[in-house]
Order: sequence, then structure tokens, then C-alpha cells
Amino acid sequence: MEGRTVLLVDDEPMLVDVLERYLRDDGFTVVRAADGPGAVEAFERSRPDLVVLDINLPGFPGTDVLRKIRAIRDVPIIMLTGRADEVDRVVGLELGADDYVAKPFSPREVVARVKSVLRRAERPQAAAAHHERRVGAIVIDTVAHEVHVDGKPVTLTPTQFKILDVLAQHVGQTLTRDQLLERVSADGDVYDRTLDRHIANLRARVEPDPSNPRHIVTVFGVGYKMVAPT
Amino acid sequence: MRELIHDIRNQLAVAVATVEAFRDGMLEPTPERLDDVLSALAAVETLLAKLPRDSDGTAPPM
Repeated sequence: MEGRTVLLVDDEPMLVDVLERYLRDDGFTVVRAADGPGAVEAFERSRPDLVVLDINLPGFPGTDVLRKIRAIRDVPIIMLTGRADEVDRVVGLELGADDYVAKPFSPREVVARVKSVLRRAERPQAAAAHHERRVGAIVIDTVAHEVHVDGKPVTLTPTQFKILDVLAQHVGQTLTRDQLLERVSADGDVYDRTLDRHIANLRARVEPDPSNPRHIVTVFGVGYKMVAPT
Repeated sequence: MRELIHDIRNQLAVAVATVEAFRDGMLEPTPERLDDVLSALAAVETLLAKLPRDSDGTAPPM
């Protein structure tokens, strides 16, 4: 959780002092605000990873702050509430806070919730990164079988996709034609003489300048190598 | 009534969180901070006195 920024919003400075102290002790960066308008301003300025928000604020209420913040950017929000009857509304579909803590609370409990909500929020991205291979401008999603170059989707044949994926698994390493054929062509449908054709078609789709390939380079007399252009 | 209970919980939150921070060594229990805790508890007392009484003169459960 090192380096994550938490925006703390509560009009009780002593509570904010205490929470700030605990969060800093855990390596968080803390930004604070004491009212509704201040919270929205601080949110836009500091781009926090998570917001801890008191539901009862001067200026405009925490529920309005939550709506305004969510309209700017989708970020995990933990509400602090002093009323049990608010909980359903806060965490339910109406406002969609990620969690809540009832006052009075233990500061350790708040820190634990902050960590747990952040972990939950960051998990899908971590999983996405795991099945994505990035080489220079090329991003290969091995689960969705999609390839993006400079953020734009490109369409590849299954064989082209396999060749690209195998090369991307061995960035910087020269693969001989035999090694490539063996890994790409499980049922022998790619032949030595067609490999060069597949590579040429692949370059035409993923290289910004196919006549001067910078991602999939030829190693003369050996095979091919994928490199990340600098 | 709801607002009153909300304010009571808020003041209790200040007292509880601050004393926990003293216990965990997160904040120094300076005379000023101890006064803040006492003020929060005094506010709770004041707020409790404002709670409506039942007809038999006892405070309703929170």
C-alpha cells in the first residue's frame, strides 16, 4: 500500500489528525478536507486512490460529495457515518460506497478497511496485467485474444496471433525457424515456406512501418526475434 | 433526535479515536490533546441532557 494517496474528509479536525497519523504510519500519503466544496477541490487536485468521507459535512453533504467525485472519476469510497439508519442507503445501490465505518470507530479498523477496499479495487487490474504482454507499442491480451497497437485494435489470423504471442514470450531472444514452427504449429499446418509469409503479414498489421520492422526483426540465417523499441 | 444521536456519536468518535492513538503511541498525549478528549466527553454529556425524556422521566435507549 506504499505510496497510495488517501483523501480524508471530515469536519472534526481531531478525527482527521488521528486517521492521518495511522495512515501515514502505514506508508500512505494523506490529503485532507473539512467540508464538501473543499473535498471536491482536493479530489481534483490530488487524484487520490481512495476517499474516506464523512456523510455529514458542512457546505454540502457527504452524499453529494460522493456523487460529484464519482462523476469525475470512479474511485473507491469508504463512508464514515454516525447514524445506523444511513447505512443501507450509503452502501446500497443508491450511493454505492464501497464500504462504511460507523462512528465511534477504532482507527485501526478504518486502516484495515482502507487496505481491504484498495486490494479489492486493484485486483482486477492486477489480473488484467497478468494476461497482457506488452512489447513496445504492441499489447497482446492472451485471454481475450486481442492485440492493440498504439491503443488501436488490430485483427490477426489465429496463426499470426500464435506467432506474435510466442515471439512476445521470448522478447530479446532469437527463435530459429524450427523453434517457431514447432511452437506455433501444433498440428503441422504451418510450413517452413509459409512462415516468412505469415511474418510479413503480421508485420503489415503490427509494425508502424512494415518495411522497416522494429518489433519483429529478422536475424539473418537464424530466425526471428522480438524486441522492444527504445 | 436523529441529529442529536449523530452528534453524540461524532463526539464519542473523537474521544475513542484519540485515546486509541495515545495507547498505540501514534499521538503524544499532550495537555492540549487531553483537553480535546475532555471537551468531546463534556459535549456528549451536554447532548445527552438534550435527549427527550420518556413520560416516566428516564432517557430512551439510544
